[in-house]
Amino acid sequence: MKSFQIRSKMVDGVAVLYLKGHLDAHQVGRFEKELLRLIRESNFNILINGQELNYITSAGMGIIMGYIDEVREKGGDIKLCALNERVHETFDLVGFTEIYDFSADEQAAIEKFKRLSRQA
Amino acid sequence: MKNSSAFPAKPDFAITILSQTQLLKMVVELTRHIATLAQFPLREAQRISLAIDEAVTNVIKHSYGNRQGREIVLEYFLAEAGLRIRVLYSGLAPDISDEEVNIGRMIKTKRKGGLGVKLMKTIMDSVAYSTQAGLNVCEMIKWRTPK
Repeated sequence: MKSFQIRSKMVDGVAVLYLKGHLDAHQVGRFEKELLRLIRESNFNILINGQELNYITSAGMGIIMGYIDEVREKGGDIKLCALNERVHETFDLVGFTEIYDFSADEQAAIEKFKRLSRQA
Repeated sequence: MKNSSAFPAKPDFAITILSQTQLLKMVVELTRHIATLAQFPLREAQRISLAIDEAVTNVIKHSYGNRQGREIVLEYFLAEAGLRIRVLYSGLAPDISDEEVNIGRMIKTKRKGGLGVKLMKTIMDSVAYSTQAGLNVCEMIKWRTPK
């Protein structure tokens, strides 16, 4: 079984990326490829659901950091939801929790995207 | 005595790995296990293993330019006071700045480098890079909090 799995689906106009397992420098290429695919297909409301993600390093966080400005410039955002305590702490250690939007669950994050769309 | 002399002169455990990112997960699991043996609680042991993952990833990516098959030596020194870990490697010496990492500025400049070092420095009590006898050394220490 692969130590990292990724899949995506559209939920209420939001592209949700489901990450599962161990995301390190060895696996990060697959994450970047999928994120880039969504952006190239003009999906700028992107939600990363990390409910089944149990490990992340700066390699994975760097990918989000590398694309979030481009997505925000196009009126969208990359938000994160449902992270377990350990993964959330890793984001917190580098200060990402102050500048990215984290939600407790997918539904709460989708509602935020809906409010963002109404304001636009 | 909170300096390197608190630890044994020779490592309690050492392993040589090749510069392949598929080995990172093994390094993480090994380090977590050793940190647990050094009496760190699981949560702390997980953080320490993340710092070592970042250190070894930096070596593979930056010092060895993602070339596989180069050697990286990991040395673990256990003491009652804490855990000292040395990562030894050849290749390019690291360009580590003491400047505080500014996440906002990194986003604007799309510069990803520095996040790993930020994590290492946040998790470990000390992170020091040096060159000794032609080898690059990254030395990290985590002290145990007295119960």
